[in-house]
Amino acid sequence: MDFDFSQDQVALRDLAREFLGREAAIPKLRAVVETPEGYDRDVWRRMGELGLQGIPIAEQYGGMGMGMVELALVMEEIGRHAYAGPFFSTVVLAASLIEAAGSEEQKRRWLPKIASGDLTATVAFAERDPAPDVDLLRTTIAGGRVNGEKRFVPHAATADLILVVGEGGTLAALEKGVSGVSVEPVETMDPAQRDATVRFDGAAGEVLPGGRAAVERMLRRAAVAASAEMLGAARRSMQMSVDYSKTREQFGQPIGSFQAVKHMCAEMLDEVEHSYAATYYAAWALDAGAPDADLAASVAKSFVSESARKVCGDAIQVHGGIGFTWEFDLHFFFKRAKHHEVRWGDADYHRERVYQLWTAQQEAEKKELVHA
Amino acid sequence: MDLRYTPEDEKFRAEVRAWFEANVPRKPLQTLEERRAWHRKLYEAGFVGMGWPKEYGGRDARPMEQAIVAEEMARVGAPGTINGLGISICGPTLIAHGTEWQKQRYLKNILTADEIWCQLYSEPNAGSDLASLKTSAVKENGHFVVNGQKVWTSGGMIADLGILLARTDPTVPKHQGISYFVMDMHAPGVDVRPIKQITGSQEFCEVFMTNVKIPAENLIGELGQGWRLAQTTLGFERGGNTLSRATRARGNLNRLIEVAQRVDRNGRPAAEDPAIRRKIGRMLAETEVLRYTGLRILSKLEKGQRPGPESSVDKLYYSEMDKRHQELMQEILGPYGQLEDLPPELALRGENQEGLDGSWAYNFLWARAGTIYAGSSQIQKNIIGERVLGLPREVRADRLSRE
Repeated sequence: MDFDFSQDQVALRDLAREFLGREAAIPKLRAVVETPEGYDRDVWRRMGELGLQGIPIAEQYGGMGMGMVELALVMEEIGRHAYAGPFFSTVVLAASLIEAAGSEEQKRRWLPKIASGDLTATVAFAERDPAPDVDLLRTTIAGGRVNGEKRFVPHAATADLILVVGEGGTLAALEKGVSGVSVEPVETMDPAQRDATVRFDGAAGEVLPGGRAAVERMLRRAAVAASAEMLGAARRSMQMSVDYSKTREQFGQPIGSFQAVKHMCAEMLDEVEHSYAATYYAAWALDAGAPDADLAASVAKSFVSESARKVCGDAIQVHGGIGFTWEFDLHFFFKRAKHHEVRWGDADYHRERVYQLWTAQQEAEKKELVHA
Repeated sequence: MDLRYTPEDEKFRAEVRAWFEANVPRKPLQTLEERRAWHRKLYEAGFVGMGWPKEYGGRDARPMEQAIVAEEMARVGAPGTINGLGISICGPTLIAHGTEWQKQRYLKNILTADEIWCQLYSEPNAGSDLASLKTSAVKENGHFVVNGQKVWTSGGMIADLGILLARTDPTVPKHQGISYFVMDMHAPGVDVRPIKQITGSQEFCEVFMTNVKIPAENLIGELGQGWRLAQTTLGFERGGNTLSRATRARGNLNRLIEVAQRVDRNGRPAAEDPAIRRKIGRMLAETEVLRYTGLRILSKLEKGQRPGPESSVDKLYYSEMDKRHQELMQEILGPYGQLEDLPPELALRGENQEGLDGSWAYNFLWARAGTIYAGSSQIQKNIIGERVLGLPREVRADRLSRE
């Protein structure tokens, strides 16, 4: 029984933390969110040199061949720094899908470029309903032609490659500039995000041989990676609140000495520590192929979605007026948590899933007992 | 990171499971003698004081072994030992701080439950602020004379001995004037009165002490060391508490899921209402997170690390979670949840079910205690804020007056 990270995993986390702290600190974030692309391509390329994009990609395709635990460690750092860039879309979503659904030739063509930082990609999944449910999809992929409308597609405007998930989990890839694809960026309340509505009007896509199983795998990994990113945002918000409570004085004493504030900070730690356990248990379960891996992914996403919302929101309350200003950094973390809270299944969506997976597991165990 | 149990762990679990399945009482234990007999059976099977050092009758069991036994007990709803405070607090305190005579005199009988122990700490005016306690112990001719009142004494009615915090020096700052004693609950001048709780049952008592004589050899540690001893009591029974809580909560939720298919709400079985399913899904998720946290704690203990003030985070989480879950179960069951007697298909424990007594209503009411005893949630938040996060301590009237 070992819930600790290995030395290599700690080193990887430290590497990501050190790099993002230096190259993607908040003043730089403030600069890149003002650009149309919304991220710094040079920083992206250097992340590739460090190997961060290659973490979950197999070594034979130029990656580091690591698991979900390592990816979650880096996602937590991305949340902690509110890093703006197509990491989630390219590495968590697209690389996972290509690895599980692509042909050998497609993997050889795309994965090494993702790993090196030379290619960005995204996955067009949600339609009218943002739920991560394949049965809701109506986009068609037939005879290599894609028709349909996708919403909330992350970093679609800059992506070199768009992977589309169609009806029943069918898959096609479209390279940037293919005709019949229109990308319309939508502005969200989070300046660090670049979502778009993408319309496919008979566009010629390259079909990926894999299907539903690969999509389901990606959805599980997205839920856990989003949990890790929200955890990072929450932990940073908590740390800022604790630091502020120690120095900000009112009524002649630090506000952290007042129980009303102290108890909010204590509740933040309660939420963060349990979000941590939920996130890394789920990441480990996916890597280990544990029988409860699907359940754990939904447990984590339902739990962390609400925890991070509370922690990041309470952080604004602890800071008072300054926390409500654009100039203060907290809102980046508050918005980052909110972004992932409602994507890849919100808390209610995953609670229903927990209920279903749990009852199915109980039934299976009962049957096993009867047969034994 | 590896959260699997080893084959040895699994083998041990299978043995423990077989033992409990064969031996767990088929009916709720009613009398003290029945409970004592069950305790004896646990003791003889080696499941009592597992974490105690071998030289004092324990097994030096690893946290993992303790956790497995605690989980398997929770799985079948097995009643606990009858001497929980003796085993988890009184005994370990004596092992750490007692004289050789005290150890020889008391320890074995704690394990066998030939003597049952209670804890005499809280007073009517010393709850969260325990160090302000007023019960006095005055030294006279080779013994101490004790006067005062204790309250919320769990198991006081059946206890033979108690560990007592009493003030031996009223002239020094409050934390320094307290000493730690073993008190004979049958001694003249000890008056134990049960307190009826909101559950209707009587688990705790108030204890009045009028000129009770305690022999000087029953002082534990040095005079004035009582507060420090009470704060540093080192338990040997570790590893399993959080996991067994999660196991018990899982069992209750599995039962809730069955009952929710039979109880109608708003014109259909409760389990078919999406709003109710989400409530159950939330409880399942939060209970799983408790289990993951239990594994995290166990991983630390197995490496010989001791959880420090962060155990306050664990206590805060599970006690608040239980209170919240009991509220949600009441919402789901509606008025059925309030009934004292339910038909077996709706009861928390169905017919012919082994193990602990208990009802939806009892558990709901009992959950209110969890966020009060052993340091209320507000005290836990102070501990987390000050000792874990390093926030400044608040200005307190009792400290100002001392300065």
